[in-house]
Amino acid sequence: MGYYIVVTNNVLCRDRYQDTCRVEYQEDWTYLDVLLRARDLVHTGAQLITHPMAGSLKPNQTPYRSVVLGTGTMEDKEPLEDVMLMENSIDSCQKFLRGRPLPNWPEDIKKDFRTLDLSFIDGAMARAPRRPGITE
Amino acid sequence: MRLELGKIHIKDVQFGPETKVEAGVLYVNEDEIRKLVLEDERIVSCRVELAHPGESCRITPVKDVLEPRVKVSGGGEIFPGALNKVGQVGSGRTHCLDGACVVTVGKIVGFQEGVIDMSGPAAEYCPFSKTQNVCVVIEPKDGLETHDYEQAGRMVGLKVANYIGKAGKDVEPDEVVVYETKPLLEQIQEYPDLPKVGYLHMLQSQGLLHDTFYYGVDAKTFIPTLMYPTEIMDGAIVSGNCVAPCDKVTTYHHFHNPVIEDLYKHHGKDLNFVGVILTNENVFLADKERCSDMVAKLAKYIGLDGILITEEGYGNPDTDLMMNCRKVQQAGVDVVLITDEFPGRDGKSLSLADACEEANALASCGNGNVVIHFPPMDRLIGMTDYIEMQIGGWAGCKNDDGSFDAEIQIIIASTIANGFNTLAARGI
Amino acid sequence: MDKIRVVHYINQFFAGIGGEEKADIPPEIRPGTVGPGSALQAGLGDEYEVVATAICGDSHFGAHMDEDTETLLNMIAEYKPQLFVAGPAFNAGRYGVACGNIAKSVEEKFNIPVITGMYQENPGVDMFRKDLFIIKTGDSAADMRKSMPKMAALAKKLYECGGKVEGIGSPEEEGYHERGIRVNYFADTRGSERGIQMLLKKMAKQPFQTEYPMPVFDRVPPAAPVTDMKHAKIAVVTSGGIVPQGNPDHIESSSATKWGKYSIEGMDHMDKKDFMTIHGGYDRAFVTEDPDLVVPLDVLRELEKEGEFGELANYFITTTGTGTSTGNAKRFGEEFVPKLLEDNITAVILTST
Repeated sequence: MGYYIVVTNNVLCRDRYQDTCRVEYQEDWTYLDVLLRARDLVHTGAQLITHPMAGSLKPNQTPYRSVVLGTGTMEDKEPLEDVMLMENSIDSCQKFLRGRPLPNWPEDIKKDFRTLDLSFIDGAMARAPRRPGITE
Repeated sequence: MRLELGKIHIKDVQFGPETKVEAGVLYVNEDEIRKLVLEDERIVSCRVELAHPGESCRITPVKDVLEPRVKVSGGGEIFPGALNKVGQVGSGRTHCLDGACVVTVGKIVGFQEGVIDMSGPAAEYCPFSKTQNVCVVIEPKDGLETHDYEQAGRMVGLKVANYIGKAGKDVEPDEVVVYETKPLLEQIQEYPDLPKVGYLHMLQSQGLLHDTFYYGVDAKTFIPTLMYPTEIMDGAIVSGNCVAPCDKVTTYHHFHNPVIEDLYKHHGKDLNFVGVILTNENVFLADKERCSDMVAKLAKYIGLDGILITEEGYGNPDTDLMMNCRKVQQAGVDVVLITDEFPGRDGKSLSLADACEEANALASCGNGNVVIHFPPMDRLIGMTDYIEMQIGGWAGCKNDDGSFDAEIQIIIASTIANGFNTLAARGI
Repeated sequence: MDKIRVVHYINQFFAGIGGEEKADIPPEIRPGTVGPGSALQAGLGDEYEVVATAICGDSHFGAHMDEDTETLLNMIAEYKPQLFVAGPAFNAGRYGVACGNIAKSVEEKFNIPVITGMYQENPGVDMFRKDLFIIKTGDSAADMRKSMPKMAALAKKLYECGGKVEGIGSPEEEGYHERGIRVNYFADTRGSERGIQMLLKKMAKQPFQTEYPMPVFDRVPPAAPVTDMKHAKIAVVTSGGIVPQGNPDHIESSSATKWGKYSIEGMDHMDKKDFMTIHGGYDRAFVTEDPDLVVPLDVLRELEKEGEFGELANYFITTTGTGTSTGNAKRFGEEFVPKLLEDNITAVILTST
């Protein structure tokens, strides 16, 4: 269903995109789990549409992460770039978590983080064509 | 464009029956400020408090810091499109209350905002520990939606800075600094033998609490464009973000962009400062490709020999920073990057989330992960209930006497990534 | 005033016990200075006293790392050290690794400043530079006269600033291998002005120094995908330390300086009777039992039979990855790749551990 895959642990993101995109959602995924799942998809041929570290909240600050990938072909795109971007992001994520774990946030703060995460993806999707990269 | 910036030196701030400047003292009328703020029904309470350098005083959570300014002549008004009517700014005369700041304080989104200490060890790291601060402490209506909440808080800062700035309109400035950049061809002609230098200003534009506005336009929706450096001094760019306190570019820092100020100091001496390119830091990867292509094209198009690039934020923006660096350098324009670093608690990890070979010249704005001690303070403006949750704090970092340990990323603008401070990191 | 108590670590060679033939002597400790310790004492001056010298054979330490570290820490503890110096190890690989290990353990256990010294190609440099101050030395003991004073000087400085890294000057000033730790300081001018100064130099093609060197890129562009797997000839290359029983070419268990090429002709899996692992970087128990875990000959033979690819080369190439310098690793590749090309190998499966 749809061109895009949304990998997320944010229920707001699932609700917003589940009718138009293929949503992979797991409530108990961590930020890192989402990155690992996105990395696996990149290795099987999906392309990154949004930056895996969208937003400048650090991975030991926000529990939520959403990454949008595409399933089309973009011939001019170098797949290695996406692999490297994923690996760099995973590295960065692990660096922050090593230094200090994610706090156990109260629900009202989690709600704010979900709203922020959704806002990053909404901002990108508002600018994304319905089916990019397909040339007739 | 030619802008005369009249600086009225402010040595002290006090409450008074009338908001005015007299003999270097700013007097503010608390009631008028409160009335202005409460016009917005989304704000239910507002308190004004004053903080002076050297006091045993802590301000937190801080949302934005602004300098009061007023347009005296030349057309347009301060904060065009964001607060006042849209209109071209950057020419004529502007007055600023140099040394005074408006600080908006309150729980906007609990975990996001930073700390200003007016004395003690943390004051070393914060530019606003040295300014006369009018702190506007606000409380929003219960259940207000996050986007509305952010917007309401942002408008409070703009309105109060605009209101206080008017007090400087008819005051004779202590100092007038003239900044001038001519139309491109004339500017190149003026110093034909000096290297032509530009500035690429990357604006935070990733979404809620990560936005910046140019003449009121959300930066994520524009494509890279050229700007006269003086436009920024009249409030053409307004901050709508509070990502990490340490490298948040406050609206004050847009007024006082250090790269622009220092390039003007060199202008006509050892370089020819021809203009500013604005770009964004979008989440959509296709935007990154598109905008960095355009940045490189513009840099070449206006004939630059060299360019300085600054970013705002960590992670996603590092990718834009490196894409811009690579493409501009490959276009034959020499690049220097200015940014801050997050190498982890032990300082041993990579400082940036991305890298490229072309980034061989970088000025550091310091390591934001360094932990320092914040001693107890006699007076608190705002609240420290959230210290453990604020960026740079952690569960258990706060002691009963109000003191705490935290990474310097909790301090507003401590590692601001445009080179405003002297703090830097080195490798050992 | 009491003198500051220093303990020094050296190997059997510098202790004057003997060369390679004595490299298996167990840990011991002697009061006062031994061998290069007198140069260390001279460099430290009167306020410091080298109270003891710990000694261990390089091979013994390499083979019993955990036990020897424990033993040495207990011996050192009795002398209540306030400062610890190991080596210098120059270009001796096992000695460098021993110095690094012991210095790191001493720092962790006693929370005192520690220092060592090595030549840039010593594998101990890359293994421990993030953890320790390692003074740059020449590649042989002939450099002792120059390197010991540098070690003594930095050791004193470390002691004086309580082991805090912020008090230490740049790698160039102090003569140590850059550790890659970022520490803050207040510069004379602000970042924007320093950036402009750097740009002026860069535009004028004058030398300039970045304040944050980018990580070194040594990326190899990936080869084009194999389009015709049905006819592809595949070879296995591993850094997992699988060698024929008895390790005929004496490939090192760490910090390898050589590689080997061994036949698998006619075999349908890697039998433990024929192959063993010498890798020093992982628990060898499982691989000793089943070397197919590292060189997956069993499944490759199955795939070969099923026709998934054309044929498997009748040999594999092997070395040990752990502690091996990137310089040596690069040389190995340059040496064996022409052989692979000569044998018309289409693609290689690299297995690591």
